[in-house]
Amino acid sequence: MSTTDFTHPRRRRLSQAVALGAAATLALSACGGDAGADSENGDSEAEAPDSLSVTTFNEFGYEELFEEYEEQTGISIEHNKVDTAENARDSLRNSLGAGSGASDIEAVELDWLVEFMQYSDRFEDLADPEVEGRWLDWKYEDAVDEEGRQIGYGTDIGPQALCYRADLFEEAGLPTDREEVAELLDGDWGNYFDTGREFVAESESAWYSGSDNVWQGMINQVEVPFESEDGEIIADTNPDVKDLYDELLEASVEDELSAGLSQWSGDWSDAFQRDGFATMLCPGWMLGVVEGNADGVDGWDVADVFPGGGGNWGGSYLTVPTQGENVEAAKDLAAWLTAPEQQIKAFEAIGAFPSTVEALESEEIQSATDEFFNDAPVGEILANRAEAIEVQPFKGPNYLLINVAIQDALNRVDVDGIDDADESWDKFVNDVEAMK
Amino acid sequence: MAPRKHLRSRASAWDRKYSPYLYISPFFILFAIVGLFPLVYTIWVAAHDWDLIMGQGEFVGLDNFAHVVGQRAFWIALRNTLSIFILSTGPQVVAAIIIAYMLDSHLRARTFWRMGVLLPYVVTPVAVALIFSNFFSQRFGLVNSVLDTIGIDAIGWQSDVLPSHLAIASMVNFRWTGYNALIFLAAMQAVPRDLYEQAEIDGAGKVRQFISVTVPMLRPTIIFVVITSTIGGLQIFDEPRLYDQYGRGGTDGQWQTMTIYLYELGWTRSDFGLASAVAVLLFLLIVAIGIINFTITRRIANGEGRKSTTQQRRLKKGARS
Amino acid sequence: MTTSAPLAPVDPEAKSGRTLGRRRRSAPGGQNRRPGFIVYGCLVAVVVGGMFPLWWSFLIGSHDSTILSRTSFPWWPGGNFLANAATVMDTVPFWRATMNSIIVSTTTAVSVVFFSTLAGYAFAKLRFKGSGPLLVFVIATMAVPTQLGVVPLYQVMAALGWTGELTAVIVPALVTAFGVFWMTQYLRQAIPDELIEAATMDGCSMIRTFYHVCLPAARPAAAMLFLFTFVLNWTNFFWPFIVLGPQNPTLPVALQQLQAAHFVDYSLVLTGATLATVPLLILFVFAGRQLVSGIMQGAVKA
Repeated sequence: MSTTDFTHPRRRRLSQAVALGAAATLALSACGGDAGADSENGDSEAEAPDSLSVTTFNEFGYEELFEEYEEQTGISIEHNKVDTAENARDSLRNSLGAGSGASDIEAVELDWLVEFMQYSDRFEDLADPEVEGRWLDWKYEDAVDEEGRQIGYGTDIGPQALCYRADLFEEAGLPTDREEVAELLDGDWGNYFDTGREFVAESESAWYSGSDNVWQGMINQVEVPFESEDGEIIADTNPDVKDLYDELLEASVEDELSAGLSQWSGDWSDAFQRDGFATMLCPGWMLGVVEGNADGVDGWDVADVFPGGGGNWGGSYLTVPTQGENVEAAKDLAAWLTAPEQQIKAFEAIGAFPSTVEALESEEIQSATDEFFNDAPVGEILANRAEAIEVQPFKGPNYLLINVAIQDALNRVDVDGIDDADESWDKFVNDVEAMK
Repeated sequence: MAPRKHLRSRASAWDRKYSPYLYISPFFILFAIVGLFPLVYTIWVAAHDWDLIMGQGEFVGLDNFAHVVGQRAFWIALRNTLSIFILSTGPQVVAAIIIAYMLDSHLRARTFWRMGVLLPYVVTPVAVALIFSNFFSQRFGLVNSVLDTIGIDAIGWQSDVLPSHLAIASMVNFRWTGYNALIFLAAMQAVPRDLYEQAEIDGAGKVRQFISVTVPMLRPTIIFVVITSTIGGLQIFDEPRLYDQYGRGGTDGQWQTMTIYLYELGWTRSDFGLASAVAVLLFLLIVAIGIINFTITRRIANGEGRKSTTQQRRLKKGARS
Repeated sequence: MTTSAPLAPVDPEAKSGRTLGRRRRSAPGGQNRRPGFIVYGCLVAVVVGGMFPLWWSFLIGSHDSTILSRTSFPWWPGGNFLANAATVMDTVPFWRATMNSIIVSTTTAVSVVFFSTLAGYAFAKLRFKGSGPLLVFVIATMAVPTQLGVVPLYQVMAALGWTGELTAVIVPALVTAFGVFWMTQYLRQAIPDELIEAATMDGCSMIRTFYHVCLPAARPAAAMLFLFTFVLNWTNFFWPFIVLGPQNPTLPVALQQLQAAHFVDYSLVLTGATLATVPLLILFVFAGRQLVSGIMQGAVKA
């Protein structure tokens, strides 16, 4: 939500860091301008609306883009920013159920896109020769339903790198240089936890903030985690899931690698200011979160490595519900917002990592550095991490709810300390049973 | 002329006969549409598979009810709802009576004090919940910091069941104690002053007067306050919903109430059938507690009636002698 | 959709403001107790306790996000409140939410007062068949937890295409059982029957009698009913939260959006809480006296 306040300095720093500088940006916005103007012209028969509504959640970095679009097309944009992805999901479900109330464009997150695939006929088919081949293949394919209709335009992706506190690493006798750290942590989760064990032996701080955060990294590397492709819920019987659960909790609780904080909580935010933990799984969009919370704290850096290889966490799509009155104009806007030029600007604004091939390869991304993270070449690192992604997990319609349930299970043990791992697992099995 | 006059008087008769019904009709029409119909229709929905988006499905009879009462979450929600209700009503009534007793005296700037205690009432529960959840942050919140400085270990306000209930009850108490104090104050002022005079003559101290005169006379008001708290209190939603940033009532449903459970089933899981079943069960619970309240009230009210007449008789006797 | 709101069985004499006032003059305060320091001390504690959370909210809201991470708590406001306020308004549709809250609260309050006075007048002063049982029915509905009909009510609103619209919040709250009961009680003792008889004898139609006799007499009780309905709808959360969604929120719905986020920034959350409270605090300064006497006269539970 409220990152606006914090992202201003970040935005400034990032854009300063873009190698090509102002000239390139100007050129790009000129391109963007053309695209916008084109689409408007193409549509002039369909009667351009005065305004369009767009619902997003958390941060998409669209504020300035909307202003730009308004200037170019004269279409004013009503931006509804929902606090969390969960609330955005509930709200969109409501609108679909009621048959009204949805915005012209609704942002949908990867984890619950599948759920809406069940009702894909309630979204416009956005397939268009003009945007074909724009996105990474997997990003595109996830948004295509069984009949081959494309219901969403990809916005960002969440390739994960590892953020770490160089100063705390140094105190604990670990290497601090980001190449060395990458080498140190190159390996599986066992290696990551082992390094953590060394670290906590020498440090007051924990290795990571909490199990729920690390879980996102682990589960996004499992090919078929919670639901089989024929629609059966297997979360409670899948040995992969249980093994990861046990491994994680052993590291978190028995070996005390975890700071025991539930992510996004107030205590979690506060811990950034208190040397609470030394590492954090960092998808692109997390960089802004770390920076906002750790405002004024020195020592954060980001390494080109991720336990267990690569992994994607999050990332979203823009959809156009059929119930809207301006579907054509909405489609144009969605196409414009997800065009490479605009994705680069969203990245500069809040670190949302582009999902289009062209943007990923662009000079702006490849050369972007971030002052807060010790001038780390974040663009290059994340692009490398995107390439390292091997597994795109299969996510069924219950993915989100099951993942929430298992994160609750982890937090019962790690954060609240009210259950041991086995008791909490039993409750999770119970919760999953209720969904079947 | 004559027929018109006739017409007029007939119109006037009609006017007199039917106007009252017209005047009261808005309430009845609205209640029928937004109150009664939804309640009755809830039973219908509860007897079906019913998806938020896909709409009505098969008739399933009591399956939804069976499913719900088979859930651990349901019983936890029931426990939490009752516990939070008791924790918020009990202390609140006691504190409100004491505050009322303090207000019921020769105070300077009387209106100021009355307004002062009422102030929290105008703060929206959502704001109250946000402020209090900051107080009760588990690690770095104000309450645990203060406890820490006086050497008490941090309390698991968001991990343990009872502390979380206390925290949520404190939000309810914050908002309603002053309000109820004014209700009690009004009732106290209706207590015949000669009862106190008599008690004083009998040599009763102030505390004794409070316990043996004021409190018994307040009993009907206490019951009233408890009954009205029951209806709202058992449907509590705002405060537990906003107690943490997830709004689901904790990792283990530590403070998930019935209404949150209803919301989660209906709007997060999109299962209107299950949500309606919970609504019906909660309705029955409220009715049951209402009946219990009513029986107790009747009994106490009757006892009260006898008691006060004896008191009065004693008073009269005292006056005569 | 509002929580039911019955009346307390307060002594009937205490119900009328006039008698209350008279008695107070003759025997001011209870039992002629002269409060000592202890009583004043306790009351100061209660009032300060009631204000502290609001003060705290403003205090945290006037600093930046790092304030709560410091080892010692601040006891004096910082200079960041306006900056935070700007961010809040940037983050949630604050002005729209405020306007929505004003529209909802005012419309429902006016409507409740009007329809309740009309019905209360009929119940209190007009003779018609079934008036007794019907009034009992009205009172009984106050004990019905209508909020539990939320699922079908939502479906009704969806069918009407009202979800996301203020109409969905306003219409269910247009008249309340409590309002009807409150006005009935008041009008019963406020209008002498002779006055109505006289008006009828003069050939006044029913509605003219209502207009000329009842409305003026109803004014004090109507003002209080207005206030309580206003506060009730201003603070209401559950139903607006469900039916409005984040796009077109009332103030409490917008406010909760500040809490759940990718990270909780309490300086912003509490700035929002402060901002959302200010309008009613202003109302309270001007009308708090009426609220106090409203509660004490009717022992309203809204």
